[in-house]
Amino acid sequence: MNINKLKLPILLIAIVLTLVAIYMAFVYAPPHETMGDVQRIFYFHVASAWISYLAFAVTFVAGLIYLKTKDMKWDKYAFGSAELGVVFCTIAITTGPLWGKAVWGVYWRWEDIKLFMTLVLWLIFIAYLALRANVHSRTQKANLSAVFGIIGFLSIPMSFAANRIWKQSHPTVIASSEGSLRASMGISLAVATVAFTFLYIYLLLTKVENENLRESIEFIKQKIGD
Amino acid sequence: MGGVCLSVVKAIFLKELKVEFRNKQMIVTSFILSVMIIASFRFAFSMLEMSLNSIAAPVIWITFFFSGMFTLSLTYRREIDEGTLDGLLLAPISPSSIFFGKFLANLLVMFILEMFSLVLFFAFFPVDTPDIPALLTLIVLGTVGFAAMGNLISAISSKVAYSAVMLPVLLVPILLFTIVMSAVTGTAQIFSGGNISDVANEIKFILAFDVVFIAMGYLLADYILEA
Repeated sequence: MNINKLKLPILLIAIVLTLVAIYMAFVYAPPHETMGDVQRIFYFHVASAWISYLAFAVTFVAGLIYLKTKDMKWDKYAFGSAELGVVFCTIAITTGPLWGKAVWGVYWRWEDIKLFMTLVLWLIFIAYLALRANVHSRTQKANLSAVFGIIGFLSIPMSFAANRIWKQSHPTVIASSEGSLRASMGISLAVATVAFTFLYIYLLLTKVENENLRESIEFIKQKIGD
Repeated sequence: MGGVCLSVVKAIFLKELKVEFRNKQMIVTSFILSVMIIASFRFAFSMLEMSLNSIAAPVIWITFFFSGMFTLSLTYRREIDEGTLDGLLLAPISPSSIFFGKFLANLLVMFILEMFSLVLFFAFFPVDTPDIPALLTLIVLGTVGFAAMGNLISAISSKVAYSAVMLPVLLVPILLFTIVMSAVTGTAQIFSGGNISDVANEIKFILAFDVVFIAMGYLLADYILEA
């Protein structure tokens, strides 16, 4: 397979960039004027949150393509991406409160729309994984989870609208920085995000390959069993 | 995806109601469940010093949500258990028509159930009388979205192991943060003395959700039922 030849270079880039991102977050970027060193968690927090949104978007698109083409390949991408999305989302919603406790004095703010939306995404894709775990037939698993992935992803902007009335108090990443986000901080964040993106691509390709292997093992097992 | 034929929708709608009311056990059990939910809320809140007006909206909607879920969980599961789904799918009708027929029947049953729960609520919780037409508008519109998305998810969960547990697992993250949240916000304003123009925004949102959820049901019913 063509795409698997790319796996090794992607892994190498991911490793190098992650090391660079760690260096930049801890050494290169200056401490934040008001938040101090605790703000350094921001580089990994924002990068994982971004990856989780990307991963769920991939699940949504792969689900759509699967329903159109009925090609199992896309189902594997959708599933792998959903699993990774839940992992990165878990990182985002655990690093967020650690930062929040230091800056706001509380771990979680229920009135904060970004925290809330990320939690809703997390819940929806945990439900998605629960759905897959409880369907036995392979095609039903693919069909039902593709439909649920689509419904789940589309309900996010709607939940966003439902909470529109709520006060927004999340530190807006770029827009409201007014000089508080220095160029060096911006570069560090960009590097961390790109590093995580490569890591995500590598993990997704590995996950899909694993699923393929699992399927061939099942196939061989059935042949031996007969 | 096939068009929606009105006479088919009507036939499915009547069939669903017939099945629902032929066996009174089901509807009676749903009524009893509503009594139990309202009574548990009354019991739980009797311990706290809280204004009943401020808890009215969440109590009403959580009661609707969980008692409605019980009605929804059987809509498609029943067809599979009794082996009638294949017959329904073999008939020359589109899955979208099946979806709409079932959706309308569910809507009616859930609405009856909700009116019963609402009367119970007023009996158990002595609140100030709210603006009833505004309250009913919110309830009707909220129930439309609830029934539409609930039907779609019920069709999914009917094909899954532990379907009775999977329905709430799949439905809560979708509905709680869209329809239920807007409906609770609006209802809370009505219970604190608001009228219909105070909740115009919430009504607009719920209407939008209703349209989107019904459209999703129309577009996706095919893929679920034939899976």
